[in-house]
Amino acid sequence: MLDKNAIGRASPPTLNEVEKGAIRRFAEAIGDYNPIYYDEEYARASGYPTIIAPPTFPASFHSAADLRELLGVGIKSLLHAEQGFDYERPIFAGDRIYVSTRVADVSERQGMSGKMDIAVIEDEGRDEEGNLVFRARRTLVVRASKETP
Amino acid sequence: MPARKLYFESIRVGDELPALAKAPVDRVQLSRYAGASGDYNPVHVDELYAKSVGMPSVYAPGMLVMGMLGQLISDWARGGQMRRYNVRFIKMVWPGDTVVCKGRVSNRHGTAGRYFVDIDLWAENQRGELVMKGGAQIQLFYSLEDENRQRSGQSPIVIEVPRESLAATPTTSTGGGSSEASAVDEEADESDERRTGASSKKTVPREKPAAKTATLPSPKKAKK
Repeated sequence: MLDKNAIGRASPPTLNEVEKGAIRRFAEAIGDYNPIYYDEEYARASGYPTIIAPPTFPASFHSAADLRELLGVGIKSLLHAEQGFDYERPIFAGDRIYVSTRVADVSERQGMSGKMDIAVIEDEGRDEEGNLVFRARRTLVVRASKETP
Repeated sequence: MPARKLYFESIRVGDELPALAKAPVDRVQLSRYAGASGDYNPVHVDELYAKSVGMPSVYAPGMLVMGMLGQLISDWARGGQMRRYNVRFIKMVWPGDTVVCKGRVSNRHGTAGRYFVDIDLWAENQRGELVMKGGAQIQLFYSLEDENRQRSGQSPIVIEVPRESLAATPTTSTGGGSSEASAVDEEADESDERRTGASSKKTVPREKPAAKTATLPSPKKAKK
């Protein structure tokens, strides 16, 4: 059973600078050649100030979070069960986004082979003025290890 | 010259998004995605490592497949703004697998000059097996005229559009954005998890944990 006290535990915001090259490589890796991710002029003609990032781009952001510290356990395995994003606006090349991570929930479910620990981890990205840009939420099945973090 | 945009007025509940068949996943792509995402979990890039923990080979991170399904949405909803995008990982995707992304408009509504469509989304492999399912919400201009008005600083066109939903489809995958409500409700396949053998890996999960897409029991309503 994961410690309920972990809920709300958070990492300090970490700056992520959104570089054009990083957007391009991310879109290429997905095999998505939509010019909106590559071509400045095309993006402007499409109504954006500059090129935008693909919707799952926040997956490439860094945060200072160490899941073992946040959850307070050693981790034997993690299973990524679900992922969700909420977007306030697109992410643009040149954005400076501060990402912090917090434990949104921990719970226990009865599975076929015993109890499973579920952790919901939420990343929040804000711009330099503090405006929310996105929230990312992942649901993980956590197998804790005996070792302490 | 940007592609033609999609406007709310032309979308109907039940509309299908043109299916997107991605090129087969290969190990080069897995390396590129690792580099681009910063997730160097060796189960996705190191064949020897993956085999040493009992996997038949490396496999795709779930987030890569979510990116593919994201392409389906962005290709279709040009000019729209994605508001929400949720998925559930169901089956692993292996090198050689071809991911086919599909979607259908499940809901549309508009109020106070803001117009939204919800889309049911799913991805299948070349055997037609469901590998991922989810939903997205897109905000759109009502029409070209609405876009032109708003871009010139005028107020939006306001037409009240009562919520219309796909009758046959419970709004499980797109509803409410409460991803935790539908959180893992079933046990991950134990044998699959054993094969991933992450127990032998004592390294610290980084801020982005191993995206181990385990075989969760398929939802009952796999496809349409």
